[in-house]
Amino acid sequence: MSQIETFYDVMRRQGITRRSFMKYCSLTASALGLGPAFVPKIVHAMETKPRTPVIWVNGLECTCCSESFIRGSHPLAKDVVLSMISLDYSHTLMAAAGHAAEAALEETIQQYKGNYILAVEGNPPLNEDGMYCIVGGKPFVEQLRHAAKDAKAIISWGACASYGCVQAAKPNPTQATPVHKVITDKPIIKVPGCPPIAEVMTGVITYMLTFDRLPELDRQGRPAMFYGQRIHDKCYRRPHFDAGQFVEQWDDENARKGYCLYKVGCKGPTTYNACSTVRWNEGTSFPIQSGHGCIGCSEDGFWDQGSFYNRVTDLTQFGVEANADQVGLAAAGVVGAGVAVHAAVSALKSAQKKTQGQSMSQNEEV
Amino acid sequence: MTELIVGPFNRVEGDLEVRLQASDGTVAAAYANSPLFRGFEVMLKGADPRDALTLTPRICGICSISQSAAAALALADAAGAEMTEQGALAAAILHGVENLADHVTHFNLFFMPDFARQAYKGRVWHSDMVERFTAAKGASQHAALEARARLFHIAGILGGKWPHTLAIQPAGVTRTPDAADRVRIVSILRSFRRHLETRLFGGRLEEFTALESVSDLACWTQGDAGLFLTASADLGLADMGWGPRRYLSYGAYPFATGRKTRAGVWADGEISDLKTGEIVEHVSQSWMLGGAAHPFDGATRPDEEMGEPGYSWCKAPRLGGRTCEVGALARQVVDGHRLALALADEGGVRARIAGRLLEIARTQIWLEDWAQALDPGGRFMGEFDVPKTGRGAGLVEAARGALGHWVVIEGGRIANYQIVAPTTWNFSPRDADGQPGPLEAALVGAPVADGETAPLSVQHIVRSFDPCMVCTVH
Repeated sequence: MSQIETFYDVMRRQGITRRSFMKYCSLTASALGLGPAFVPKIVHAMETKPRTPVIWVNGLECTCCSESFIRGSHPLAKDVVLSMISLDYSHTLMAAAGHAAEAALEETIQQYKGNYILAVEGNPPLNEDGMYCIVGGKPFVEQLRHAAKDAKAIISWGACASYGCVQAAKPNPTQATPVHKVITDKPIIKVPGCPPIAEVMTGVITYMLTFDRLPELDRQGRPAMFYGQRIHDKCYRRPHFDAGQFVEQWDDENARKGYCLYKVGCKGPTTYNACSTVRWNEGTSFPIQSGHGCIGCSEDGFWDQGSFYNRVTDLTQFGVEANADQVGLAAAGVVGAGVAVHAAVSALKSAQKKTQGQSMSQNEEV
Repeated sequence: MTELIVGPFNRVEGDLEVRLQASDGTVAAAYANSPLFRGFEVMLKGADPRDALTLTPRICGICSISQSAAAALALADAAGAEMTEQGALAAAILHGVENLADHVTHFNLFFMPDFARQAYKGRVWHSDMVERFTAAKGASQHAALEARARLFHIAGILGGKWPHTLAIQPAGVTRTPDAADRVRIVSILRSFRRHLETRLFGGRLEEFTALESVSDLACWTQGDAGLFLTASADLGLADMGWGPRRYLSYGAYPFATGRKTRAGVWADGEISDLKTGEIVEHVSQSWMLGGAAHPFDGATRPDEEMGEPGYSWCKAPRLGGRTCEVGALARQVVDGHRLALALADEGGVRARIAGRLLEIARTQIWLEDWAQALDPGGRFMGEFDVPKTGRGAGLVEAARGALGHWVVIEGGRIANYQIVAPTTWNFSPRDADGQPGPLEAALVGAPVADGETAPLSVQHIVRSFDPCMVCTVH
């Protein structure tokens, strides 16, 4: 295999100063929830490790994941996106076209056999031998299998690749199927959400490139550092939930006061994601802040749970880990009945502490 | 006669494959295939009508607000509801921000990188193109990505998140901005204007929107726009990729007092009223079962055999039996802007790009006015009840052109939902009469050099339409 540049080489070549590079490393450490002690580690890794090639393929999807990704506010996001990870094959952004593009994909696979990360946006539809999504004259599922064969690890970007998303909504006309049901012999990290938050995407990919390993995953295969808590847990409208102050209708006085959106269908209490902490569009806001409930787009099956505007009453398909399950179930019972909120809150607090404790100890092992 | 299959096309949104028959160094016939089908219209049947507000934006991660605006309008139409004045204003700002960002993305990331190709080495403008537009590296691309991310803070402020914003509802928007939000929006727009005036136009936006003729346009040499126009003149892009020269627009940005841009059809130098009852989707050469129908009566039944003579999942919409081009140029022509009218007859690659540049400048100016008009004390949401029965049409203008949603509600559930997206018009396959779609017709006559497997002319023509393939078939 030919010599691959280090990250630092690539960044320097792009005209990034040493000062910016150091800033990037320290901000990365904090974005990933690592202490200042990890900054030199990141610096060392970036200076000495050959960069990891990334192949980004698109199946049945809407490109919202790419769209989210290129707007990341992660430190020097544009440089991360456009130079550091040096997407070796990206359908949306690259220069080559047509067969030249397919050739570029093949070349990357051959050159970096066993060393590249395969990032999958979208999923393969399996009905009619995969004919609902054709790439280069062949069903996408074939491109996916082929590219996955020599990948070191796979990132399933977004709800499509992770769970199926809206195109898998009943009756799932094309039999859109998540990646892990097609590729079963590779480590897969799921980064769900429709789309995932840009900072979560860059955070995950930076972690993998820097430490050359997968971040700690929960039982569903999601990075615990971003999906360890429910949106509800850190929601700024949470005090109104606890106080029983709810928006009843979009345009009522309570909506103006910024009360809790639970009664107009908010799925925050059952959704594990970082929206209420990291927020969207470079930390500007998130759906609940815009007055619309969370639709739970990072949860499996969110598209088939009855109307998006019905309130949450059951939580059967959600489950991340034992603690979270218990909390979720407790909260669901409470929420359904509308009483005994305090019990749920305290259960939640203790669970939160546990989760935080766990992820910290994980980080220390790194 | 040689046959070429060009595709997959990258740097277009979604998947596209074009089959070309070439002889004597030019394209003789073209067939556009949209090879990606998901079946949103099938999933929507039987759903709570409000779910269209969440499901349809997910057709596309680039034009999701357009889809959301169309769904909201269709439901409002079915219920006889209306947005409040301030709600419509906030919805227009959200939609305008997306359209503006899409145009800037298209220009910088999707369209211009083709001019940085090695094949153009030696042209006087080539080194500038390489410096500014090399795919994923160019200086202008970096600047545009940054400016665009900042611009989208407005979508964040008013809509919570982008893409797949949920804030637009049939009777208004869920978020009431406060005075501080308004100040932030105004200042974000000011910074975006600076980006446009220094990078893209190299001059004041008002000077560009004041251009009136093709010769005025040819004199614009500043900024990235000027660089494009220089290359365009050198390569003869004005005479490449002629569309049907029939333009359709539903009129962009609905307000209680009317739409910001005019609805109508331009053909043979005349602008006439749009008769939406004459819109018919053909399926005879699509992989779809059933017959030609108006969207209210349309059906989506994919032909799993993918039988002949079908060659695309895309249906073929026609207005009064004829093809129409939709998009920024069409919108500006139908609205009667003088520069656009001057470009209407030209109707090729240059006209499309210039029409888009014109719209970028105008949209930025509109957004600034709208932001000033935001009244934090006003009502942003009105009354809306899901009707038990009813039908409604939601006609809006996405960045890429006319977008329509048609919904039929029975027993409080969706009985039928049909979507005709901009690229469904532009990249439609042949209809029952064998009439090729606008792109297919535009490609005829495109030069194919010896040994070219993915002709450059074809790349320019295809991307000049700014296709959005995931919307096309949905």
